[in-house]
Formats: sequence, structure tokens, C-alpha cells
Amino acid sequence: MSNNLVIFGGDSHPKLVAQICAQLDVQPSKVELGKFSNGETSIAVKSSVREKDVYVIQSGCGHVNDTFMQLLILISACKSASASRVTAVIPYFCYSRQPDIPYTAKGAPIISQRKSSGSASASTPAATPTAGGKTVTTTQRPGADSPFKSLDSAIRSTIQSPTPVRPPPTTVGSSRIPMIPEGGKLNRSGGQQTPQPPSSTSAEAEELFNAQNAGYKLWVVQAGTLIANLLTAAGADHVITMDLHDRQFPGFFDVPVDNLYCKPLVQNYIHHCIPGYRDAVVVSPDAGGAKRATAVADALELSFAMIHKERRSQLLKGPPDATLTSGADIPSKPLLQHNPPPAGAPALHRSGSSSSVSSASSSKFVQTTMIVGDVRGKTCILVDDLVDTSYTITRAAVLLKDQGATAVYAIATHGVFSGDALERIKRSPIDKIVVSNTIPQERTLAVLGKHRVDILDVSRVFGEAIRRIHNGESISMLFEYGW
Amino acid sequence: MADHSIKMLAPDVNRAVAESVSQRLGIPLTKTHMKRDETGEVLFTIGESVRDQDIYIIVQIGSGEVNDRVLELLIMINAAKTASARRITVVIPSFPYARQDRRDKSRAPITAKLMADMLTTAGCDHVVTMDLHASQIQGFFDVPVDNLYAEPSVVRYIKENCDYKNAIIVSPDAGGAKRAAGLAEDLDLNFALIHKERAKANEVSRMLLVGDVTDKTCIIVDDMADTCGTLVKAASILMGHRARNVIAIVTHGVLSGNAIANINNSQLEKLVCTNTVPFQAKMKLCPKLDVIDISYVLAESIRRLHNGESISYLFKSHVL
Repeated sequence: MSNNLVIFGGDSHPKLVAQICAQLDVQPSKVELGKFSNGETSIAVKSSVREKDVYVIQSGCGHVNDTFMQLLILISACKSASASRVTAVIPYFCYSRQPDIPYTAKGAPIISQRKSSGSASASTPAATPTAGGKTVTTTQRPGADSPFKSLDSAIRSTIQSPTPVRPPPTTVGSSRIPMIPEGGKLNRSGGQQTPQPPSSTSAEAEELFNAQNAGYKLWVVQAGTLIANLLTAAGADHVITMDLHDRQFPGFFDVPVDNLYCKPLVQNYIHHCIPGYRDAVVVSPDAGGAKRATAVADALELSFAMIHKERRSQLLKGPPDATLTSGADIPSKPLLQHNPPPAGAPALHRSGSSSSVSSASSSKFVQTTMIVGDVRGKTCILVDDLVDTSYTITRAAVLLKDQGATAVYAIATHGVFSGDALERIKRSPIDKIVVSNTIPQERTLAVLGKHRVDILDVSRVFGEAIRRIHNGESISMLFEYGW
Repeated sequence: MADHSIKMLAPDVNRAVAESVSQRLGIPLTKTHMKRDETGEVLFTIGESVRDQDIYIIVQIGSGEVNDRVLELLIMINAAKTASARRITVVIPSFPYARQDRRDKSRAPITAKLMADMLTTAGCDHVVTMDLHASQIQGFFDVPVDNLYAEPSVVRYIKENCDYKNAIIVSPDAGGAKRAAGLAEDLDLNFALIHKERAKANEVSRMLLVGDVTDKTCIIVDDMADTCGTLVKAASILMGHRARNVIAIVTHGVLSGNAIANINNSQLEKLVCTNTVPFQAKMKLCPKLDVIDISYVLAESIRRLHNGESISYLFKSHVL
């Protein structure tokens, strides 16, 4: 190994850094990582990097913003110390999942509301948004732009008398879809921000994202481009990562991105470690992952199944209304209305449900999950790219077992396991969960025990990729054969 | 003020200054929604249209989870940018990582430059800050930077709260001499300086007082108070030279680590910080702390920036 190669590791996953360096037969170079007393990150690079090929290995796990800033500052330090090339090796790429607003069949975004039945805002007829218990009613006049005015005044009135905060409810699903949780706690303490599982909201936020405000749709930040630009601004010349959630992500960068695959390792594992694998079925836990799962299935010549979630609204019996999203949980409010509803009477509603908007959205939507494919009497292998809250795979496992699967394996590249995901998996019917070590898995092994967890080692793939990139060789064979 | 074309954003933590600016200007803060998951990733949404608006993002970043606040700020800027804002100004009274502005050791990162690059990459068009640790940091940016001064507010505080006719301005180190001398001139007071003698082998470095403080009220002036080690040493030296009492006025009260204990055990009578860095929670722990509110300076600068007027007035005079 030439002495032109320098490897630095951040402190998010030191074990993986050590393993990668062992693969390459180099020592990780010395860098002091810490924090100043005021919380700012402190980096001191201890070995010379002038004219060297530098690789900075930092996985986007743990406290994401801290590890990301550490990565940026380390790249910047090496670049301004005259390194000839700085490559960022990010096994698990943070901020890569971009929230997507669900769309209706017509293509308009669904902004789902879930109001608990006890919320104050639901008790009044929701002809207009309510503001912290106060009702601002306007009567509809033909052509009036009242939605805007009432919302505007509602917002202003809430500024003067802010709604008291409500205690946080139980966690609302794993979705990164910006839905309004049932209430939340606004953490206004000037100091530390403790991470709260549900986000902060109040009646103001609910009316803020109220689909009645037909003029303005939610604008959701997608941090992907920003993160890519920040890495380039810090000085990264090259990025190596694995199994990016979004296949189009490399396009956000101006520098080359090598997206390595865990698939050969997964195939190898299935081949050697799952008994009777030739009769097994590869299952994708949702429609989005079908392509990934079929690739695995085809490579091993296994059959394939998919779990499909459908959301269909029961209703839509009223006159078609082009401005409203179909099936959304809002009362209909046609823009032209000749007879203003008397104050206090419920506004027109689409279905025969109760007059308050507080009726749970489940009465409007029917959600069915079904398996496409046959799993009865078979070993099922769930394949996904990452496990975060584990709602997806645990629900899938329950469904598969109900449908007669004999064993359920869950294989994912990145095991994020945030919140109480591990406890959920422990209680679930998953027989074995297999993740790679892009993210440290000590806690996983501790909670689930080594008989229920298998860890795939990706250090060899990364080590080989670094060696080949340093020597200027092709890495294509890693995509097919693994290492 | 044409308030249909300006919007002000603030994150969900450390909002005190933003709220007071909003009250001062009579413009409510824009509704926003910030969600964090357990790993700390932030999901940020703006609740109103900001298309073609003049956006001001007011953040206070000082101590604690600095990296979280920095990334939240970047995501907020990016949100406004991709939502087609006309101009995005970041009002960040205390600039994070400002002390890492040069490579004083081999291979030290110039993180202040990285911060400047990150802000511009995210989409910021203008920066308003206060009392930058080194005013040359303005040169790290390609966009205009307005470095406001806390000095007029400090002058007013001294005139209103101290027996300043019998006072003397002291700089706790040689680097701050220019700042302290400027303040002394404005108040027409004398000036003193504490100088750290370089340590020889086997000797502890000494701090020497240059100037006479006998029977005077000493006002130590500095830009930042972090662990307060320097301030505490300076106070005991001044009392050792028979000063009457010692108060310290700093712009950025970071107050991390053992700062509160150090101040409580020191000979400082009072430590006054502006509210560029939020430290309200620490005031309960330390009765010697006092605050100078500079939110009105920020509010006035936002008003003038939005209307296209000069802000030079703010450099010399305090705002009523």
C-alpha cells in the first residue's frame, strides 16, 4: 500500500474505521476529535496530509448533526492543509430520505389531518379554522376570498394569545410525511433541545396546514441538495456511500459519487445461512422496494412476493369538486355558495359521519394490506434498504405469518433502529434480522441476542473500494461479486 | 413598513430575540413547523407562501447543541431559497465558530470560513451579525455582511447603571485594547490594560496591570465570555490593585463549562452580557448576571435593510 494514502475516521463508528483500515493494512491517521466547552466541534489533525490522498470515514448515525458537522470540518481541515484529494466515505448517508407528500389519484397532494376527538378546535363547525379555542366564523359569499382572510386573522389572533401547549401523544407512525400529529409539546426552553418523538404543534399548526387553505400548499424542505452542496462546499472531491435510499441522489452532487451495493453480501448470506433457501420467497415490504427485492430474487432464482398497501376512500358520493383532494378528511366547502350555512350548523360534509371534523380519518379511508404472491408454508425473506422505526418490517412479518409463512427473515442494509424499534422487533414474529455494520450494532446485539441477529460486515467492500479508487482501478466488480 | 413583502423566520428554540424583534416591528413571525426525529435529523416546513418576499431568519446560536442549531439554520435558509424567496438575510447576532478564524496550529481548520461557505451555499444573500470576533470574517463571505456594534447599547447601560464618572475601562488582554479604548473615548474615561507576561520555563505566566485603578470602579470590556477564566483572573488583579469594585461587560455571554461557578466565586461584582447568546436559564444560577437587550438594534437594522436605508446610524447611536 503506497504511503500516499491517509485515512481519518470520525467518531460515529470507530469500529468500522478500524476494520476498514485492517483490510487495507494501514493505520488510521491521528486526529483529535472533541468539543469545545461551548459545544462547538473541535478538530486537530495530527499528521501531515500535504499532497496525500485522504479518505474521511464517517457514518451518518448517532447524533446526526454533530457527526455531519464533524465530517465537514474534517474535510475542510484536510483541504486547507493541502491534501491533493479528499474523499468522504459515508457508509450510511444521513438526510437521504426525503419526505414525500402522498398524492391522490388526481395528482393533488393529500394533506391528511388527524385531530383527536378531544381537541378544542374540532367542536365548532369547521367552516373556518379556529384559533386557540376562539372561533372566527365568516359566512361564505360568492367569490369571496374568505379562506385567506380568515386564516390570516386567525393566525394574527393566535399570535396575541398563543395556545397553551398540549402534552405529546404516543408516537404517530414512522412516516416522514408531514402530517399533523395529534398534539405536541413545543419545547421553548432556551437551552438544550431534547429530541421529542412527535414534533411540536398546536392548533395553530393544524390550521396552518389546513387543506382548506386552498391557495397555499405545504412547502416541504428536501434537504438532499443542501447536504450535497455542503459537502462540496467543505471541499469533498469524491463521495463513497452504500445503498443510498434515493437512487437519484448522486445527481445532486457536482463531484463523483460511488454508491456501493450490499446486495452481493445479502445474496451470499441467503445462499449460505438460510437453510432451504431454494424454496424461500423474497418479499418486499412495500411497493417502493419491489425493484430492490426482485433484483435479489432474480440473482438467486427465488420466487418473489410483495406487500401492497392500499388506501382507498369509502366516499366520494357528492358532486365532484376539483379544488379539494379526494377523500381528504375535510368538510366540503364549495367556493360558490348561495345560502350561507347558519352559524352553528355543521357545514356540508361529504359522508354521513358525525358533524364534527374530529371524526377519525379512519372512517374516511380504508387501508388494506395484501400480499401479492404466495407465501403459504414458505420461508419468507424480507428485503429492505433500511430499518428505522421498524413499523414496516414488523407489520409485514405479522402479515406474512398470518398468511402461513413458516419463517420470516428480515434483511436490511442499514439498521438505524431509532426509538423503541428494537423492542418492537423483539416482540414481533421476525425469526432473524440481518443488518450490515454501516451503523454500530452493539445495542442491537444486546437487546435481541446473537441468535436473532446476524451482522453483515461491509468493511471488506469499503476497504476494497478505497484500495481500487486510490490505485485508479475499476470498482465495477464490487457491484456484482462483493468482496 | 410594507409588511406584505417581509417575513421573519425563527427556529423553535432560542426564539426570545426573534420574538422581541417581531414585537418591536409589529410583524408576526412566520408560522413554521420543525420536526426532529430521534437521531436529530430535522424536517422543516414553512407554513406560508414566501414567494418573492424579503426573508429574515433570526437565530441565536451560542452554546449547547451548536451543530444542531447550525444545521437547522442551513435547512431553514434552503427552505426559503427553494420556496422562491426574493432575498434571504440571516440575522445571527453571535456567529458560531468565529473563534476558529485562522490556522494558528498546523492543519487547524478555518471553520469560520467553512461556516461562511455553508451559509452562502445554502442560499443566504446577506448576513447581519454583531461584534464579530474578528471583523475580517466579513471578508470570508462573498455576500454583504453587516457587522453591528453593541457599543452604543453598552454605553447607554454604563451611563444608566453605573457611577461611571468615577470609572475606568479595562481591557482584559492586549487583543481587546482597541475595543476598550474606543469605549473609553466615547465615555470620556481613562483606560487600563491587563497584559499577560509570557511564561518562562518553570514559571507561571503573570498578569500585569498597565494603568492606575486605585479607588475606581473598573469596567472590564470584552467581546466574549466563555469559561470566564480570563475575567476572573482580571477581577482579582484589579481588586489586588485597590480598585473599588469590578464589573464586566461582554457582548456574547457564552458561559459554558464552569463559567457560572467561576463567576460566583470570583471578585466580580457583576457580569453583564447582551442577549445575542441566550442565557436566561443561567441567570437563576448566578445572581451576578445582568442582561443588555440588543433586540431593538436588530429590529431597527431589519427595518432599515428592508426599506433600503442606511444603517450607519446604528454604529454610533443607540436606538430608543
